[in-house]
Amino acid sequence: MAGWSEKVLDIDLNTHTHKIYPLDMEMARLFIGGRGLGARLLWDMVGPEVDPLSPENVLIFTNGPLTGTGYQTSNRFSVTTKSPLTGTILDANSGGFWGMQFKKTGYDAMIVRGKSETPVWIEIKNGEVTFHDASELWGMRVFALTEKLGQNNNKRNVLCIGPAGENLSRIAAIMNDRERALARGGPGAVMGSKNLKAVVVEGRERPEIMDQEQFKFLLYEARKSLAQSPLTSQALPEFGTVVLMNIMNTVGALATRNHQQTQFEGAEAISGEELTEKYLVKNASCWACPIGCTRISKTEKVEGEGPEFESTWAFGAQCGIDDLPAIIEANTLCNDLGMDTISAGSTIACAMELSEKGYMDSDLRFGRADQLAPTLEAMAYRQDIGSDLTDGSLRLAMKYHHSELSMSAKGMEMPAYDPRGMQGQGLLYATSNRGGCHMRGNMVGPEVLGAPKLIDRFQVQGKSSFVILHQNTAAAIDSLVLCKFTNYGVAEEYFARVLSAVTGIKYATGDMIKVGERIWNLERLYNLREGFTRKDDTLPARLLNEAPTDGPSQGWVVNLEPMLKEYYRGRGWDENGVPTKKKLTELKLEAL
Amino acid sequence: MIDPRIYEQFRDIGRDLYVANMISSHAGNLSIRLGDRLIIKRRGAMLGQLKPHDLIETGIEKNDSGVALASSELLAHRTIYMNTPALAIVHCHPRTAIAFSLSRDEIVPVDNEAAYLLKKIPVVTEEFASGTPEMASKVADALENYKIIMLRGHGSFAIGQTLEEAFLWTSILEEACQIMLYAKLIDEPFIEYRKMSDSYNKF
Repeated sequence: MAGWSEKVLDIDLNTHTHKIYPLDMEMARLFIGGRGLGARLLWDMVGPEVDPLSPENVLIFTNGPLTGTGYQTSNRFSVTTKSPLTGTILDANSGGFWGMQFKKTGYDAMIVRGKSETPVWIEIKNGEVTFHDASELWGMRVFALTEKLGQNNNKRNVLCIGPAGENLSRIAAIMNDRERALARGGPGAVMGSKNLKAVVVEGRERPEIMDQEQFKFLLYEARKSLAQSPLTSQALPEFGTVVLMNIMNTVGALATRNHQQTQFEGAEAISGEELTEKYLVKNASCWACPIGCTRISKTEKVEGEGPEFESTWAFGAQCGIDDLPAIIEANTLCNDLGMDTISAGSTIACAMELSEKGYMDSDLRFGRADQLAPTLEAMAYRQDIGSDLTDGSLRLAMKYHHSELSMSAKGMEMPAYDPRGMQGQGLLYATSNRGGCHMRGNMVGPEVLGAPKLIDRFQVQGKSSFVILHQNTAAAIDSLVLCKFTNYGVAEEYFARVLSAVTGIKYATGDMIKVGERIWNLERLYNLREGFTRKDDTLPARLLNEAPTDGPSQGWVVNLEPMLKEYYRGRGWDENGVPTKKKLTELKLEAL
Repeated sequence: MIDPRIYEQFRDIGRDLYVANMISSHAGNLSIRLGDRLIIKRRGAMLGQLKPHDLIETGIEKNDSGVALASSELLAHRTIYMNTPALAIVHCHPRTAIAFSLSRDEIVPVDNEAAYLLKKIPVVTEEFASGTPEMASKVADALENYKIIMLRGHGSFAIGQTLEEAFLWTSILEEACQIMLYAKLIDEPFIEYRKMSDSYNKF
């Protein structure tokens, strides 16, 4: 059927064998692909008895029906697994070229299970699977390995782990195309636990499109929309995602020094404007993306992709550092080591606060740019102080008996947006199925950027409706799989229409949101099965009790409880956050 | 207790609809979704002069005493919320659009803004075009695919994430219809300026 290859590749690393079987098309219709398909497959394969770093955990790589079609940003893919950082269901998705190439190999999903006795890398070339010995590659960093395995953006693409993944850091990323990342929640550690160093893909299959005429029209209209929006046609191409630094600082929602403040006096020095003026070599794009938000930056020591806003914030404002070259170098180092920049930066910030307050014996201090690189190296190799930090801020803070200083939700470090200045963002973090994450929905759009229309960021009543809609929309986009930035320029109604044009199956706008709601509820069921409860839908006490003493968010804490009650009701869950039978039946999840 | 910020949104959009000649004195209604509940204009209230007590909160699926006071179009609003991603609804009587709805099954704008943002607006027919389950169902069905639709001879229903957004679609529709009317009056051959314009009526 157009849109799907209808094939699943199932790899067993215990025996270095593989099977190919048909994709369940009813499952595909209900969950589409990407994150949704991954969640549905994981539900059957990995239960609460499975340790995330054991051979029984699986990695499920998925693309979507739009992947590789040439529709704007149709380059992305997902990995789904049980997170070694949070213990929740985890999916992470990434751009670049690998996802498009993976689609061309002719598979909708690739499941990797078991554990190889010795290090291995896998090559998938035109559907054929080959296992290669990776003993000599073990220990290599990401950039050198990517080059050695023959990365060629339009023909052959490399996905791999670095030292952080090998050393089972619970914040290790899986890297693709050198500097793109399946970053959050520790999927790199799962790959490392399987002794799997890399997956290289080459393919020739071209995705079929059922209604070419409608597809071309939608492509044309979406191009107009993206060109018309100043955000996607000017701000992101010119300044990258770091354009948000000054914006968030101005509204008093830029978490600073481990969320002790909501504005950073050094924001201007680490802003998108500064990055563009002094360090930008050029901008670049993922495959089939007209936006081009990728930065290629250069300092005296490094040249590489990024940094993104979140990375700049994590090593910058969150650590009290305004030295942009040091931040760029920390970002590049993290990519080479294969580590999530958000969790790495925020964990270092947590250690800085623990140390400054005398709870932890280390010389880490806010503002010390010189400490970033050595600390990251130590984390990736589990050396010295790095062994305390490499499993994330919650485990670190618990070790030193001050878990309240971990700025995380469900154990995952939150990104830059301080929710005391954005009430909806607070609810979003607290209810996110993979922990403190800004990609499970987009409240920055309505609460700060005015996309689609500006809403009052301090309003509490009614905010849950926005959070629910944006969570469902994000899950739908993640199942296609497209970049969230298209949502800043292209209306939601396009997603259903382009999916219909590609597959020939009629989807209405409401159907896509329903798919997103189905995915969200399935992920919720997964976490409930893992033992998560209502008490886990919360935020660090600092955000609930300590109001900023100055700035635009002065006097505000996250007013979580009334929003959460409204949220549960709006989702059709009971007062404990458990989906009701009626809701599960409505979503065709009653059998789970 | 309804947040005063929410009341201000209702008051401002209601006034703008009246000033823009899109409703008569007591017609039209607005609502927003709050989880499993909604806030809607009180029955008989003047949309152009809303007071805080003119806003009624009630359930989307479940009745309570609020239904005794709510707008006569409550059923349509509820059905729309149950079947679409809408967080806000604007219903009004844009005059030029109503006039076009009397003779067409769909309105396909020719001006740049409406063609770009709305593509086309379906026209739904229902004999009992106010407050009935049949009307509610037809309107909600159409809004699954479009952000604004016309109920023939009655008026428009627009959905959005905010009242402001739904009002935007409404005002774009009425402006588009006025432009089409003027173009008709001028009665000269149309010079197509849009690429792939044949595709708009298939959207």
